[in-house]
Amino acid sequence: MTFRQNAKRSALAAAAFAALGLAVPAQADGDVTCNAGPQKAWQKMSKLKKKAWLEEWELLKMQVEGDCYEVYARTKEGQSIEAFFHPVTLKKLVVFRRGQEIYRADGFTG
Amino acid sequence: MIGTRRALLWVALAIPAALMIQRFVSGEALAMDLYHPSGEMAVRLMILALLPGPLADALGHSRFLRGWLTIRRNFGVAAFLYALLHLVFYVLDMRMIAAMLDEVVIPGIWTGWLALVLMLVPAAISSDRAMRWLGRRWKSWQRLVYPAFLLALIHWLLLDWQWGPALVHLAPLGLAWTLRFALRRRKSLSRSIA
Repeated sequence: MTFRQNAKRSALAAAAFAALGLAVPAQADGDVTCNAGPQKAWQKMSKLKKKAWLEEWELLKMQVEGDCYEVYARTKEGQSIEAFFHPVTLKKLVVFRRGQEIYRADGFTG
Repeated sequence: MIGTRRALLWVALAIPAALMIQRFVSGEALAMDLYHPSGEMAVRLMILALLPGPLADALGHSRFLRGWLTIRRNFGVAAFLYALLHLVFYVLDMRMIAAMLDEVVIPGIWTGWLALVLMLVPAAISSDRAMRWLGRRWKSWQRLVYPAFLLALIHWLLLDWQWGPALVHLAPLGLAWTLRFALRRRKSLSRSIA
């Protein structure tokens, strides 16, 4: 491979990365913190089933993630989502779809 | 003898897949739980296929590296098969074609599709016959694995937003390539002095 070909390829690769960077909107974060306090005060996770039902989601899985409740579900349109709920208030705080944030409660910054 | 060894290698390569499928069939794991293990396996096998080249270039063809080079194509094909398994779990999780099409535009998703498409070519021409037929061009087609590998890591990063795993999987190849260039440069320098 000549130097010129090499440079051309690098430039293409750089352009591709730049384009990708521009295409990424609001970024989801791997670590959501809910500031939920001690677990003693938390509500039962099973109460989220009703929440999911009210949202018309098909519930796939619920788990504790950090100090949040995390729900994996499918919306009625078939979208695969991850939602974080506050363990004490059971408020829906933030929802991600395939790494993109699609919902955030007013004033929630965690 | 070579046939038996190769069969053993493939048995070993198939074990993780068998365990994943068993976990899914038994209901222990959801399809979405298997995204991570199947995708990670595909990435790791790509690394195994991509490492011996630059290492042999930098460190010379030791017996170990020669052996590794002769079986690297198996790792590459296995990587593609794990990527396909990853896709199967995706289809099982999404259930509807419409839902899959709907999210193709999301960067975390199309990067995965593109990585798979790029892997398709090297995997399809992995046979001895294709190698003979394509001659020198074979190698340049195989190089598509590099963009596929980078896209796979970007795909992972865009879905998880954890830098750690992506960087850990980039490190071995980064090191091998640095070594290749550093040692090659030294060799050409000493040659020009002599």
